[in-house]
Amino acid sequence: MTNFTDINNTFESYQKIINFYHEHKDKNFDNISIELQNWFAANMCAALGAILDLFTEQLNFISFNKIAKTIEQVLQKNDFLTYYGKKKEIDSNNTTIKFQKLTPEDGKYFNSYVINELINRSELPKMSIAVKEKIVEAIYEIFVNAQIHSETKNIYTCGQFFPKKNKIEFTIADTGIGFKNKINKKFNRSLNATDAIKWAVEDKHTTKDVSGGIGLALLKEFIILNKGKIQIISNDGFYEFGHEGESIKLFSAEFPGTIVNLEFCTNDNDSYLLKSEIDNNDIF
Amino acid sequence: MENTEININIVNTIGDVYAVEAEDGQKVFDLIKKVFDEKRNVVLNFINVEIMTSAFLNTAIGQLYKDFSEDFIRDNLKVENISNSGKIILKRVVDTAKMFYNDPNTFERLQKSIDDILNE
Repeated sequence: MTNFTDINNTFESYQKIINFYHEHKDKNFDNISIELQNWFAANMCAALGAILDLFTEQLNFISFNKIAKTIEQVLQKNDFLTYYGKKKEIDSNNTTIKFQKLTPEDGKYFNSYVINELINRSELPKMSIAVKEKIVEAIYEIFVNAQIHSETKNIYTCGQFFPKKNKIEFTIADTGIGFKNKINKKFNRSLNATDAIKWAVEDKHTTKDVSGGIGLALLKEFIILNKGKIQIISNDGFYEFGHEGESIKLFSAEFPGTIVNLEFCTNDNDSYLLKSEIDNNDIF
Repeated sequence: MENTEININIVNTIGDVYAVEAEDGQKVFDLIKKVFDEKRNVVLNFINVEIMTSAFLNTAIGQLYKDFSEDFIRDNLKVENISNSGKIILKRVVDTAKMFYNDPNTFERLQKSIDDILNE
């Protein structure tokens, strides 16, 4: 039985999820049971869901044996536990953003998901149109990155609103090749995982044969203005960037893919426009 | 009389008000290229587009700088009804594309930026 206690969006919590993966990754036709206690940040369902899927692919049976009542309610409301045989619950507080599993080809489903879970929700914390648009744009940039680069079978997303803290957490996870392998394969180099992430978030750095490398740079610029945070966990690399600076660490083992966790402030009144508008004739 | 100025409606081309996926950008690029190959002008209409990503704009427009000169694109491509926030991304996409395709050693330059990190 694996016991997850106090899972937040911290380096230590990601390490626990990575340890859990390595503990069971070679199992086939086995039972894997999980206990969730004290706290389990709802958006972390994306990361846990990605790993559990790798286990179920090897025909292991997943069971949630003991779950603290408060955690169970949230994970039933956001649909995560319905993937593992528990009943669905209606979210009367309207603070969950549903757990969703998609293939990279499911872009149109992702659109409906974003519309239903973010854009068209009247009960969301009050947000200016500009900041809402920037948040949705940022989420799409990350989703599209996973689509194009990760070589994953599935993409897992989940989020949570914190109305009192005026925050949204949103996580996108995949079980693809990770930043490091993608970059090293393309350029025949041997960057470690953290250096690979650092390289990828710089403006105009791309592994594609066409121009690009802007998405993550744009996101970083928005994060600074919004006083939000981005965490990227890819292979054994941990990268965190916020308005207060960046933090880089290595895990003791690899996550089998990439997790991007985004935190945004909803009470942000920036207009996100340039001081002088760009003339249509000056674009090209 | 044949039109020399061809209107391309983004929403109609991709079938969505969310111009986000690179693949959808490719559909727009293919149309623009067809028109440019015929030496005609394009008016790209962003009316009703709600969200844009750099990934979409890279394939839809950035790629044009691989096949056509900056002067040709400036003279033959117009955008209409694009949101201010979309315009900010588009400008970044265009500036990046010019740099990317003007430099015959882009691959080596990017490789060097990796070596700089390795040698830090």
